Amino acid sequence: MFELIIIGGGPAAVAAGVYAGRKQIKTALITETFGGQSIVSNEIYNWVGTKAISGLKLAQDLEEHVRAHGIEIVDGERVTAVAKVDGGPPAGHFSLTTSSGKIFETKTIMIASGSRRRRLGIPGEDRLDGKGVVFCSTCDAPLFKNKDVVVVGAGNAGLEAIVDSIPYASSITLLVRGTELKGDSVTQDKVKSHPKVKIIYGAVPTEVLGEKVVNSVKYQDKATGQTKEIQAQGLFVEIGSLPNSDFVKELVTLNPGNEIVVDHKTQQSSCVGIWAAGDVSDVLYKQNNISAGDAVKGLLNIYDFLHRNQLTGAHK
Amino acid sequence: MKTIKVYSTPTCVYCKMAKEYFKSKGLAYSDVNVAEDDAARDEMVTKSGQMGVPVIDIDGQIFVGFNKSEVERALAG
Repeated sequence: MFELIIIGGGPAAVAAGVYAGRKQIKTALITETFGGQSIVSNEIYNWVGTKAISGLKLAQDLEEHVRAHGIEIVDGERVTAVAKVDGGPPAGHFSLTTSSGKIFETKTIMIASGSRRRRLGIPGEDRLDGKGVVFCSTCDAPLFKNKDVVVVGAGNAGLEAIVDSIPYASSITLLVRGTELKGDSVTQDKVKSHPKVKIIYGAVPTEVLGEKVVNSVKYQDKATGQTKEIQAQGLFVEIGSLPNSDFVKELVTLNPGNEIVVDHKTQQSSCVGIWAAGDVSDVLYKQNNISAGDAVKGLLNIYDFLHRNQLTGAHK
Repeated sequence: MKTIKVYSTPTCVYCKMAKEYFKSKGLAYSDVNVAEDDAARDEMVTKSGQMGVPVIDIDGQIFVGFNKSEVERALAG
């Protein structure tokens, strides 16, 4: 039986893990991979204390740091279900099941499972995933040399997908649902003025077509209701993220965006014994530094909870 | 010794992770940059049936993406 299980491998999970180790709480951290979503960033300039760091280096540093603190690390595993045992804490506990069918028992849980890429949910998207439909533009943009690509997403990620594609693609069409771009103005200017780039506003993607690979993308023109088709070999989807909260949706209160609702003073969820921090929580700003700080806040509250209910052997 | 080939692009972090993993295990691998090498890109698409990177070929066993536990199993098997 663990006193605490931390779910996730990003900045929030690692911050909680480091503090849990130093507090001598009997802890396991379960994650598929380390680093969180920033792992695909080429350079991160706002990780406090470090002028610039690549996403990959940050991931490696986070993993190294948490491994140095004497907690049990279970990597390559995803938590798929959480259930209360004997009514849950403080009298009972929780049982966690992982993707490979392993069971873990714990008195408390810190959920720091972050979020995953949002999909369009249109016909052809799943079937042609990896066959022209791209969810990691930074990774795959170089594969679309001399091809026509469509990018969906008016935020920074969408604009950066265009910047990544400019050296390779022959044309780039950006479909924007609304009437304006949302990303940083510096990137907006770069994108708007480039001769390869065409921006279509009020455009809602409706279907991706192609037999074996992507051939075209259909969208609806919101103003006229007309459906139009663009010939393209690539569709880059950059429309934000969805919290990884499915495995606890029966236990904790989620907001309409499926984020775990927490008390922002303590990071406690609506379920006694479960805390959440980082992008899976209903925190207003999704930032590495905030995730780490919120997780520390949560961990200190977990430490109090364990002691108050005499559930820990730490410091005895 | 298994033959390992990584199809990658210079901008792909998961490709770097895969290569660093093989390096850390002291395993030799060949690395092809499919952003430049069109023939290798076609070969990758034929082998994996898709166009995303990385694609890892371990003695003919094909993996799309880098999943450490899958790769560990393939290396052990």
